[in-house]
Amino acid sequence: MNRYDLITPEGTSDLLFEDCAMRRSLEEKLSGIFKSKGYCEIVTPGLEFFDVFNLNSRYFPQESMYKLSDNKGRLLVVRPDSTMPIARVAATRLRDARLPLRLYYRQNVYRNKPVMRGRSDEIHQMGIELIGSDSKRADLEVISSAIEVLASFENEDFRFELGDIGFFRELVNKLDADTAAKEEIRSLIEVKNYPALNDLLDSIGDNEITNALKQLPRLFGGEEVFDKAAELYDDEKIRGVISELRVLYNSLIEMGYGGKITIDLGIVNKLDYYTGVVMKGYLQGYGDAVLSGGRYNKLLAEFGYDVPATGFAVNVDAAAKVMKQSHTYSAPVPDVIVYGADSFVMEAIKYANGLRGNGLIVENSVFDSYGRTKEYAAEKGIAKAVCVGKEILTENIIGEGGQNG
Amino acid sequence: MDNEKRPLRIALTKGRLEKDTVGLLEKIGYDCSAVRDKGRKLILPVGDTIEVVLAKAADVITYVEHGVCDMGVVGKDTIMEMSGKFFELADLGFGRCKFALAGKKGVDFYQGYGVKTIATKYPNVSRTFFEKKGMDVDIVKIEGSVELAPLLNLSDAIVDIVETGTTLKENGLEVFETIAPISARLIVNTVSLKLRQREIESLIKLIEENL
Repeated sequence: MNRYDLITPEGTSDLLFEDCAMRRSLEEKLSGIFKSKGYCEIVTPGLEFFDVFNLNSRYFPQESMYKLSDNKGRLLVVRPDSTMPIARVAATRLRDARLPLRLYYRQNVYRNKPVMRGRSDEIHQMGIELIGSDSKRADLEVISSAIEVLASFENEDFRFELGDIGFFRELVNKLDADTAAKEEIRSLIEVKNYPALNDLLDSIGDNEITNALKQLPRLFGGEEVFDKAAELYDDEKIRGVISELRVLYNSLIEMGYGGKITIDLGIVNKLDYYTGVVMKGYLQGYGDAVLSGGRYNKLLAEFGYDVPATGFAVNVDAAAKVMKQSHTYSAPVPDVIVYGADSFVMEAIKYANGLRGNGLIVENSVFDSYGRTKEYAAEKGIAKAVCVGKEILTENIIGEGGQNG
Repeated sequence: MDNEKRPLRIALTKGRLEKDTVGLLEKIGYDCSAVRDKGRKLILPVGDTIEVVLAKAADVITYVEHGVCDMGVVGKDTIMEMSGKFFELADLGFGRCKFALAGKKGVDFYQGYGVKTIATKYPNVSRTFFEKKGMDVDIVKIEGSVELAPLLNLSDAIVDIVETGTTLKENGLEVFETIAPISARLIVNTVSLKLRQREIESLIKLIEENL
């Protein structure tokens, strides 16, 4: 007897009927948005060489990746992310393509998470990458697409958050401390650990830079953040970062997203990955970001193709989970079931095809009597049954007291 | 919108941290009578704007991480052992103690090149501590009184929470090294902080003023 033959591995699950319908409808919605903006779909393999994810900068801790080896003993990983494989494709097969590249994807990523923490290891993601432009126009396009995606989830209380990793980078570069201390500062800002951050910075010194860094995790909220940030520290580069972010913010407000956009200059995760504007999207009802992304100008260079890029990914299943709370999705029920009496089976199939041509969902009955067919139809909630014999008889199943269930 | 109606939900670690937090909330001016006479109830109202959830330490982190509770009060010991994704906004100052490496009095723990055995309730904290030192150790997870392990010669030392050190002393043990100070922390879900910024920030301000 096999012990694990009836269950799925931890962190995975089967997606049935309504849930599937929900996921697909979200997929259609998002692909619609992406396609309408000129993005082309790309599918990358589920398996990649470990090396693709083990570049100079280790964006993914090795313990979070599912690994296996191929028949030559080379180390493979089950794709933990789509952006890096897409960067690989852009740097190789699409190297001579006219820039910018607009690519979108819908595929699973796999991350080995601590067990029993209630999050999936298999995440269905959709996202876009805009490769080959460093302009503010490119940032605005990706950001406004991200907001459009969030708005399409019909969750009134969505929030889109904008930051720029450059603010932290400029500050910390001026700080007189070793790399380990800087990394510690970064991680404390990331988790907004105010007390520990204060202690650490106090031990480094009391100056304009340490004071500014102390305030950094608190720099989130609405428009007032820009003024607070500008007061903290003033030099040309930081002024540049703030004013560019403010321009972006104001453009989004102009587009009618006031009240939905917030700023957080304390987003400092994946510091070696992101190089500029970063974004996150939240939905009321899900405890983690459902959308995240930003500008990553150095990633493609690691694959030998030095071009800038920006993009974002959406956790489609998280969005579906939130939408399920307010929307009911049901798997489609057939409209008609067609039964063919003995020696009229072919006629029945033809008749059913005719109905399908009119846009109906039609099941062919596999039962050997019309009575059993009607019983089944009543149970499944199929509205009409057709019996094809010498004559064609159509009966309403629902509304005759036949439906139970 | 329904999130404006739902009270701010705070998970408290049952026991001493719960009592200290309730004391703090009362000092701020919240009516905590429902928590004081809770009976067997696990979700309790505090005024109109806050709801308190009572849970075991590790579960406080889980509830906050998933966003079903907006905030939580939990010891740094649990945070270090569990880790997780949340904001750690304030050190509440109470529940103070420390993580320490301890063993039989007078023994030089670092002597010799044999692999040491460590007994602990906190395997992750222990592993990280020795990883930083570049030391391989065998870790044995113990559920109850960890002090027994070195006395019974199961382990060379223990990694545990030390408050006053009385238990260690009475059993002929001593602290070899302090690993990290511990106190109660206020943690906040990463999305709640953004969606309910005003409420959470004003509560934290009140808390900080009353510590």
